[in-house]
Amino acid sequence: MLTVKRKPKTPLAWKNLTHDWRRLAVALMGIAFAVLLMFSQVGFQNALFDSQVKLIADLEGDIFIVSKAKFTLAAEKRFDFVRIHQAQSCPGVLWATPVYSELTTSVLRKMEHGKGNLGYPIRSIGFQLDVPLFTSEEIRRQTRRLNAPGVALIDRKSKTKKFPLPMDNDQDLSRSSVELASKKLTLVGTFNSGTDFAHDGNLVMSAENFARYFPHRKRFGDPLSVVDIGVVKVQPNYSVADVRKVLEKTLNKDVFVLSRQEYFDKEIRFWDKSTPIGTIFLAGKIIGFVVGMVICYQVIYSDIADHMPEFATLKAMGYPTRYFIGLIIVEALLLAVVGFLPGTLASLWLYSSLAGQTGLLMEMDRYSVGFVLAATIAMCIASGMLAVRKLLAADPASLF
Amino acid sequence: MDSQTTIPATSGAFVGDVRLPKTVRVENVNHFFGEGELRKQALYSNNLEVRRGEIVIMTGPSGSGKTTLLTLIGTLRTVQEGNLRVLGNELLGADRDLIVRLRKELGFIFQAHNLFESLTAFQNVNMAAELVGLDPRIAEGRIKSLLTRLGLGERVHYKPKSLSGGQKQRVAIARGLVHKPKLILADEPTAALDEKSGREVVTLFQELARDEGCTIIMVTHDNRILDVADRIVNMVDGRIKSDVAVQETSVICEFLKGFPLFADLTPNTLSEVADKMMVHESQPGDVVIRQGDPGELFYLIRSGTVDVLIDDGAEQKKVAQLKEGQYFGEAALITDEPRNATIVAHDRAVFYALEKTDFRAVLDTSATFEEELRQALFNRQ
Repeated sequence: MLTVKRKPKTPLAWKNLTHDWRRLAVALMGIAFAVLLMFSQVGFQNALFDSQVKLIADLEGDIFIVSKAKFTLAAEKRFDFVRIHQAQSCPGVLWATPVYSELTTSVLRKMEHGKGNLGYPIRSIGFQLDVPLFTSEEIRRQTRRLNAPGVALIDRKSKTKKFPLPMDNDQDLSRSSVELASKKLTLVGTFNSGTDFAHDGNLVMSAENFARYFPHRKRFGDPLSVVDIGVVKVQPNYSVADVRKVLEKTLNKDVFVLSRQEYFDKEIRFWDKSTPIGTIFLAGKIIGFVVGMVICYQVIYSDIADHMPEFATLKAMGYPTRYFIGLIIVEALLLAVVGFLPGTLASLWLYSSLAGQTGLLMEMDRYSVGFVLAATIAMCIASGMLAVRKLLAADPASLF
Repeated sequence: MDSQTTIPATSGAFVGDVRLPKTVRVENVNHFFGEGELRKQALYSNNLEVRRGEIVIMTGPSGSGKTTLLTLIGTLRTVQEGNLRVLGNELLGADRDLIVRLRKELGFIFQAHNLFESLTAFQNVNMAAELVGLDPRIAEGRIKSLLTRLGLGERVHYKPKSLSGGQKQRVAIARGLVHKPKLILADEPTAALDEKSGREVVTLFQELARDEGCTIIMVTHDNRILDVADRIVNMVDGRIKSDVAVQETSVICEFLKGFPLFADLTPNTLSEVADKMMVHESQPGDVVIRQGDPGELFYLIRSGTVDVLIDDGAEQKKVAQLKEGQYFGEAALITDEPRNATIVAHDRAVFYALEKTDFRAVLDTSATFEEELRQALFNRQ
């Protein structure tokens, strides 16, 4: 006596959910809220990770060379300038250039009347002015100014608490009296990059000036003979992958040769896995998940509780247990999918408004959409399975 | 000797020549609620048989256990002690699969309508049709005709919110009937209905019982519908106090009225007498009463014929033949003398017998009866 499926069965799950639109609206708002919570965690995490690799993102170039000891961008592990020469001589390389970076000794002090605070470390980035290293049009425009001795550009997003400088006015800024590594520095302009966990601000200067401020980078010899990051631009008619292979073969084994994406991944992997940050955001996501589960449980549970006599009647009629489990799974899936849409819309709005206010990079990529959708469905089904026990306890004998 | 049974005459168990299959057979069922010290017995060795196509009305004060018995029959409670067979399946120790399968053959009508507010009348009824895998086109026709029959033809696609209490109850009744159940269990099905629709519902029940062989057990206090009952079961304090086949009881009363001594009894007293009678069976040639034995019982012949033989010392002579509706054995009970004749079953016969003490008790209700009887006996000689 098997069912012949000729006509769809009465969609009881859908009918029960949509019967009371006020309750449905509240339920969907609750689930949307959980979706928003999870999206915000995913968004913040991505934004923070992205800010860790902002410097790499700001650089032109297809291939990056770093010391094998450099476990993260902020680690001051360098390699010999010879590698840059080696890279330059490889076929398919348009240009190869060093990027110099200093943090611990790069203390910026704002001076007033001959005195100043203790100063705070700022990341100083030195580069060869004849190479179009930065993607930023702003920096390129101001490159000429960096030829003078003792000058640098400052990142407008540098933390003003530590570096209280008039960043919005170039004239005032150039008149400000500042010292870098106890030497006088003139700030001739600003650019826009961003801070991260390790760096509270950025300075950009010529390699010559960089050598002047940090002469002791290398204990003996030329401070510019040790490089923090090597950047390679591939000629247009060469494939990046091929050139990368050649470089890897040519260069000594004390350096990594990484494509842009590989370098991003390596850096983010460090922050995600080797620091507590990944765990903190995981906790945030779990909280969002649990909040969503509680809300979803409440919705399904009260739907069941309100219809106990009806469900008990179905039981008396001979509906088997699996029917009720299926019913609740469908209900949970509907809630998940229908609640996901408004939640995603709200998250998009949150992302754009936060990005506008904080300068964080808030983007909804398909991975995070997929992750949050899967989490939402899992959350609804899990809470449905918790609530279904109530339904299975419905006692048809109580109907008489 | 004839064989005495423990079956009451009014149970109607021996009526007709066919023994119809039993839809429900309750044997020595006990039921308890609670555990440990709070354990309380709700049913005390209940016995009940319901035949295919019968309409049984259960009555009794609240708390008498009739609902408990109904839920046991309906597989909604687990049988604890005793045997309970429904549609040929033993429920004691039955597994889930059997119970789920069996439930599809039952139709429940509860006091509360329990309709899904989110579904229309049609969809609510269809929930029952879908479950048994009814062809959707057949189901649609049947649902519509049922609802129309119950006066809801105009409201097939209304949601419960737009229906009155009685209309909702009628939708619930349609839901209980649409899958053509073999056994309908109903709890006050007509309580929420006006006279006219209540009558329509019980007429429908009667048709189902007559045409489809559907068995119906309902708990009701609605005396407007007592007339449809084939059997009335009365429960008090967890015991079945009486289980009476209405038709058969009226037949017995009619027979008893033919007995001059009982002719003036009220129907009420007659039915009480009928209640006390027990079924006896005998095969052709069996001696029911032997001349000279002490008198114990008064017999009413329900079916078959018997020969009356008198032994005058020399030979046994057949003096008469008695048939259905006639009685014998009263003289010895009245006069306290030995049996004055031998009765032998001529063919397979069924008697309803009344104990001497009960017989005397009836007579004692009026002294004039005895007087009258002496007169009658005198006249007979």
